[in-house]
Amino acid sequence: MTVLRIILLVVLQALMLRDVAPFGEWTQPQWALWALLLIPPHSGPFGKLIAGFAMGLGLDLAMGSYGQHMVAGTLLGGVLPTLHRLLAPREGYEVTHQPTLRDMGSTWMLGYLFLSALIYHLALMVVSHWYWHLIPSAFLPALTSAMFTTLCCLMLHMMVYAPERRKSGI
Amino acid sequence: MRNLWLLLQRNAFALAFIALMALSLSVLFRNSGAARSSWYRQTGSIASRVEQQRSQWSNYLHLSEQNTRLARENAALRSRLLSMEITGDWRVDSLRGWGVREGTLIKGPDGTPHSFALASPGEDGAISPGMGVLAGGSAYGTVEDVGEAHCRILTLMHAASHWSCRIGRNGPVASLSWDGKDMGRLLLEDVPRHVMAEAGDTVFTSGYDLRFPPGIPMGFVLSTDRTSGADFVSIDVDPAVDFRTTRYIDIILSRSDSERVELALPQDLP
Repeated sequence: MTVLRIILLVVLQALMLRDVAPFGEWTQPQWALWALLLIPPHSGPFGKLIAGFAMGLGLDLAMGSYGQHMVAGTLLGGVLPTLHRLLAPREGYEVTHQPTLRDMGSTWMLGYLFLSALIYHLALMVVSHWYWHLIPSAFLPALTSAMFTTLCCLMLHMMVYAPERRKSGI
Repeated sequence: MRNLWLLLQRNAFALAFIALMALSLSVLFRNSGAARSSWYRQTGSIASRVEQQRSQWSNYLHLSEQNTRLARENAALRSRLLSMEITGDWRVDSLRGWGVREGTLIKGPDGTPHSFALASPGEDGAISPGMGVLAGGSAYGTVEDVGEAHCRILTLMHAASHWSCRIGRNGPVASLSWDGKDMGRLLLEDVPRHVMAEAGDTVFTSGYDLRFPPGIPMGFVLSTDRTSGADFVSIDVDPAVDFRTTRYIDIILSRSDSERVELALPQDLP
C-alpha cells in the first residue's frame, strides 16, 4: 500500500502539482512527503529508510533533479524512526496506530508533519545551494515551504481520511 | 569473525543509511556542477593544506640528503669552473631574454596518467600560464593554471602532453610523450628511420614550443625500436628528471615572451 501511495504521489507531484507554488520559492510544497509520512510508527526502520530513498529516487527521475530529492528523502527516511520515537506517546504506540488525525490527534499530527517537512526542506535547501554564503538567504523560504507542505499534507489527509471518520462517528 | 558479524548486525541500519546516503550524494555530485565544484573546492583546499604540511615535514627530514646533494653539485660546478678559461666579461644577453625564478613543489605527479603537479608561487610571484618549468636544470613541465599563491604544472608525466624535442643538439625534431604506464620511460614517436640514435644520447628541448629555450636536457635515449619495414622508429627515453623525488623547481620567465607569441601566431598570407 505504501509503495502504491508513493508511486501515485510522485507521479501526481511530477506531472500535475509541480507548479502549484502560489508565492514562488516561498511556498514550494512536497506533496509526495505525505505518502512517506503515512508509514505506521511501529513498522521497521529499514522499511522507512528504503521508502525515503525510493521516494527521493522517484522524484528525481520524474522531475529531473538528479540526486537532490534522493539525499533529502534518504535523510528523512533515516531520521523517521528517531522522530517516531521522540514523538511517541507516554504509553507507546499501539500496534493498530496509524499516523492519522483519528489515531494520533491533531497536535501530534501537526508537529510530526511540520518537523518532517522541515527536515526535508532544509536538506533540499542545502543540496540545492551548496555554498555557505547562499544558505542564510535560503533558510526562510525553506521554513515557509515546510509550513506550506504541512498545510498541503493536512489537506490531502482530510480529503482521504475525513469520510472514514464521519462513517465511524455515526 | 563472529564478533565482527555481530557488530555489523548491530549497526546494520546505520551502515545502510550511510550506504544509501553515499549513493545519493554520488548521484548528486555526478550531475550537479555547483555541488561538484563546492565539494572539490572544500576537499582540494584541505588536501592542499595537508600536503603542504606533509611536504614541510618531509623537507625537514630530508635536509641532510639535500645538503649532501647540494655539496656534490657545488663540487662539480667548482671543478668545471676551475677547468674553464674565462677570457671575457660576463654579459646578459637581452635578446634571448630568458630569466629563471625559483619555486617549490607541493605535490608531484603520482604516476597516474592524468595527474598534475602543484607548486608555489602563483600570481604573487608573477607566474603565468605557459611558462616552462625546470628541475635540476632539465625540463620538468609547463605552467598550466595559476592561482593566487600556487600554480598547477602539466609535467612530462602527463599522458595527454606532447613536447617538442631534438635528438642531440643538432638532430631532427620529434614529439616526446608519456604512455601513462612507467614513470621511468618516455616515448619519442614517428622519428624518421634514417636517424641514428644510440643509447645514452641526450634529448634536448627544441625551443619550437616557446615554453623552453632550445638545448635544455629532457632525457636520454634508452633503446630504439626498429620494426622491420616501418618508415618511422620509436625511441624509448629515460627522463632526465626524477619525478618522484623532485622538490625544487625553476620557472622560466621569458622577458620577450609577448613578442615571440605574437610573431608565432598564424598569419593570413595573400
